[in-house]
Amino acid sequence: MEILHMIFIAPFLDMVALPDLFFQGLWDGFVGGTLYALLALGFVLIFKASGVFNFSQPILMVLAALALVSFYEMGINPWISVALVLVMMYVLAFGVERLILRNLVNQDGNILFMSTIGLTFVIIGSAQWIFGGVPSSMIHAELGFPVGSSEMPMFGGAVYFEHIDISAAVLASILIGILAIFFSKTKIGRGLRAVADDHQAALSVGISLNQIWVIVWFVAGIVALVGGIFWGARSDVSFALQIIGLKALPVLIIGGFTSVPGAICGGLIIGLGEKIFEIYWGPMMGGSVEGWFAYVIALVFLLFKPQGLFGEKIIERV
Amino acid sequence: MNEKAPKIMMEVKNINLRFGGVVAIQGVSFDIHEGEIRAIIGPNGAGKSSMLNVINGFYHPQEGEIWFDGQKRPSMEPYEVAKTGIARTFQNIALFKGMTTIENVMTGRQLQMNKNIFWQMLRYGPAIEEEVQHRKRCEEIIDFLEINHIRKTPVGSLPYGLQKRVELARALAMEPNLLLLDEPMAGMNVEEKQDMSRFIVEVNEEFGTTIALIEHDMAVVMDLADRVVVLDYGKLLADGTPKEVQSNQAVIDAYLGVPH
Repeated sequence: MEILHMIFIAPFLDMVALPDLFFQGLWDGFVGGTLYALLALGFVLIFKASGVFNFSQPILMVLAALALVSFYEMGINPWISVALVLVMMYVLAFGVERLILRNLVNQDGNILFMSTIGLTFVIIGSAQWIFGGVPSSMIHAELGFPVGSSEMPMFGGAVYFEHIDISAAVLASILIGILAIFFSKTKIGRGLRAVADDHQAALSVGISLNQIWVIVWFVAGIVALVGGIFWGARSDVSFALQIIGLKALPVLIIGGFTSVPGAICGGLIIGLGEKIFEIYWGPMMGGSVEGWFAYVIALVFLLFKPQGLFGEKIIERV
Repeated sequence: MNEKAPKIMMEVKNINLRFGGVVAIQGVSFDIHEGEIRAIIGPNGAGKSSMLNVINGFYHPQEGEIWFDGQKRPSMEPYEVAKTGIARTFQNIALFKGMTTIENVMTGRQLQMNKNIFWQMLRYGPAIEEEVQHRKRCEEIIDFLEINHIRKTPVGSLPYGLQKRVELARALAMEPNLLLLDEPMAGMNVEEKQDMSRFIVEVNEEFGTTIALIEHDMAVVMDLADRVVVLDYGKLLADGTPKEVQSNQAVIDAYLGVPH
């Protein structure tokens, strides 16, 4: 009885008893959620355009963040550093298309997936070689994002808002909005979906695979940079960010690999879920449940809704 | 087809296509007149689909020339060929399975949509007019092919015959000058074949679209085609009107088999 009470009743009583703490958890979870959604969108973008789970998306984020900090440390103006990183991401997108994807047209999805794993290691190696592997801190303050926090009295207590979190949530939401419209309303968005579905058919209606791929990888690079700035600000800029990047995987399992709204919902579910679980259920398991709880949620979804909340239900005719 | 001197729309000259040691097409030449229905026939493995893929830019022949609209065509990628006004369908249906019928057909308008992407994102001004206009054209094509009832159905779940029709609709949405059909009636029952034949003739007559098609059903070919090319083992066996081809001894041998 004791244990049942601890699991099923006590946490909810706590939520009601201390609404300010609960709200704090919701806010933190929400910020994390929007950033997860942004990460997941990077994956969705490339999945939609080539039917491939891009294993190298997290490392793209690390690369972008690392390059940004390194450029700044060389004494370059922070905004010019951002521009330089964007140029670098474009060159990378172009190179990936030229050297990898172009040679794999019409190949099975698994082969493309393997090639992104290979790419991951190439990027890890070269990033370490060029920028070094020493963790450093993000330059968000230098970029003009507000730092510090404010306290707002609420629910008879106080809720803290980190200013960088507010910027992160706002900017991520705007970027997600733009991407969502980009996917659903534009000619390029339609082209992306066409390419993901069938290479041959896309070519036959005049869609250039090469052009589409460069575009999506570049946009994925931009998403990686924004993600890198804010995740870097929340922890360090180091290769450990990759682990956070992979959190997008449970987000995608929940939302479906091809869906923009799915990525948003999935991100929020994971962000809120893990925060609330950490606060109310974490202590009884000795804390630090945030690291793996996302995968538990994903497992539950895999059991009951394997195509995700918004995934396309593919009907195979036999 | 009119009786005046026909204008040559496309001409392939001495095409040689090899995959490693396998010779797929060997010294094949023929032409396609503007406004005609040209059939390419032959036993399995004769190189018919390869020929279509050469015209379409999926394969690049080692030797030979392709002339289109009076000009020699440089080596082109399929999406570039599409821009020159050549559309096609595939033997093993290549549709965008996750999309609905109307979305599939709309992809056929991809090349004609060239309004600024920012307008498209804002759903405002010239972009929205453009979208409406293209959608209207697509709806007309959908009406024409009598697939109105499945407009909003994801094509992956449609029966085979209807998928073939959606594929044709997408190709027509491109408003091509030359339409390549790779076995448009394969796997269809008699009724579906009749429907498809009717559509092909109507496309040819009403839109004036030149059509090159591969087909196995001889009765259909004889009915539809203005002229027929016969391939066998990658070589040109005969070329002429259905009547001429039908009475050609080499063709009869290839189809019925002769003791060698």
